[in-house]
Amino acid sequence: MTGRKSPESPPPAKQASHGKRSPVTKPASMVKTEHLPAGGEEHGAQPGRAFWSGSITIGLVNVPVRLHTMVRDRSFAFRLLHRDDGQPLKYDRVCSRDGKVVPWSETVKGYEIRKGEFLVFEPDELKAILPESDRKIRIDKFVYYLSLDPVYFDSSFILVPDRSEEAYGLLLAALQDLGRAAAGTITLRTKEYPAIVHVYDGALVLTTLRHADEVIPPHAFSILPELPVPKAAELALAKKIVTDLSGDFSINDYPDRYREAVLALVHKKLAGENIVYEEPHPGQAKELMQALQETIATLAKK
Amino acid sequence: MVLRDLTRVRLTNLDKILYPAAGITKADVLTYYVRAAPRLLPFLHNRPLTMHRFPDGAGGPGFFEKDAPAGTPDWVETFTRRAETAGRDVRYVLCNNLDTLIWLGNLASLEIHTALAAAPAYETPDLLLFDIDPEPPLTFDDVVSVAHIVHGQLENRGLRPYVKTSGKKGVHIVVPLVPGLSFSRVRDFAHGIGKAIARDTPQVVSEFPHSREPGTIFIDYLQNSHGKTMVAPWSLRATPLATVSVPVRWDELKKGVCPEVFNIKTVLSRHEDPWSDIFHDRQKIT
Repeated sequence: MTGRKSPESPPPAKQASHGKRSPVTKPASMVKTEHLPAGGEEHGAQPGRAFWSGSITIGLVNVPVRLHTMVRDRSFAFRLLHRDDGQPLKYDRVCSRDGKVVPWSETVKGYEIRKGEFLVFEPDELKAILPESDRKIRIDKFVYYLSLDPVYFDSSFILVPDRSEEAYGLLLAALQDLGRAAAGTITLRTKEYPAIVHVYDGALVLTTLRHADEVIPPHAFSILPELPVPKAAELALAKKIVTDLSGDFSINDYPDRYREAVLALVHKKLAGENIVYEEPHPGQAKELMQALQETIATLAKK
Repeated sequence: MVLRDLTRVRLTNLDKILYPAAGITKADVLTYYVRAAPRLLPFLHNRPLTMHRFPDGAGGPGFFEKDAPAGTPDWVETFTRRAETAGRDVRYVLCNNLDTLIWLGNLASLEIHTALAAAPAYETPDLLLFDIDPEPPLTFDDVVSVAHIVHGQLENRGLRPYVKTSGKKGVHIVVPLVPGLSFSRVRDFAHGIGKAIARDTPQVVSEFPHSREPGTIFIDYLQNSHGKTMVAPWSLRATPLATVSVPVRWDELKKGVCPEVFNIKTVLSRHEDPWSDIFHDRQKIT
């Protein structure tokens, strides 16, 4: 179980130089791995619960729908541990003046107007200006889907008919035939978003959009409007290269190599190295442990 | 010796408060279920479960979960059957070992509800249930007197019923059955008892449309249906005092008994379990 030297081994951790092993390590043979995805191979996405229900509203027409998550963040998360004992670290809100931990009940929101100067806002004051969530996706107009610029696309959600299969199907077919998307607004939690409803793979999808001032216009870079005009021969050559390399796009050609590499590392570590484990506080678990020992003994007698 | 040598469950958030009013943590809930396990597990064996989970504690919103959730460990036994209410296959959890019980507790499934039939004979009930609840201003005392009337009616038919507190305002009376009858047959039998009692007892109602009328007690026979459940004996309830649905002797069930005294801190000191041999006393109804 001692760290095998191989090109993939991480640099030796400091604990090794203390000459003692972390008290919370466990031989890999006893580690259960069923919650880990096998290297690279993973199950398909499962549809989640609806987290919003309401209607697409076009004038006087309503199409009741439910909103489901469409995009998952698959980035790999590590937890930060204390190197000496392997315990996970937690974060506290600490006062910058005296370094003391501040409970939630003693916090208030401030807006920094100048460095170190804040306007204080009570929860009620902020609550008063929250947009009302009226459970509607309000459609203002229909636009050609291809005329929309994807730089404004923020997050996408699958719309599922809520006992409105007919109206939903009708809207879907109309948008599909006309190549249009419906543009309007939706209020999610505490924020109103510009949004479009468009057709994607046999479904209506809602994509929230970024506000205009959230996107930096490229002409902010003065070099861009002053690019030299290309020479005809060079342009012809450049176009030939582009044409030769043209093909159909498939997102599956671009796997998440970092994620795969981390998972491979996890499996490698599981096979040959010590794994640091979270251990509940002894006091917290003492009674539970005693109960477990007694019950296991009782059940064994039966 | 450390926790993970004693259970395969990876326990999380042990110091999370699950009963804010009583200051009871998840570690306390798990300790309770582990200590109750020798009495609870025999009852739960092979009985499809419905979890009533309270991730934010008893004061927060709870949700029922019949399906084994994503991430269910492979050592948790399950039983898949089509649920007509859901119109699809449901993969029920079977709590057939201590680790599964601990796993349920770790999911903050404060309440454990079970079907009235056991796998694999899931279509034939092995429990007949009378769910007796008072509508205000009636109280537990009134429930007690109606429970004894039901007891008498069943004894007159040669049956030996068992009783437990619901952990809330009412009681559950069950008769363990020799499986084989359909739910509708068992339901009709329970309904017949309710109707007979309602004829002679003013505050008792036997029909569902009257079940919420103030000052009445409904003898609920409708729970004797496919897919319906009963909170398990020794299960906690998501009440402020962490009450328990606890089996009691018939002679303990007296006026003046306060069901709240049966809670997470008190019930384990009860040395007898009147329901311990319930499945060795299966009976036939006619």
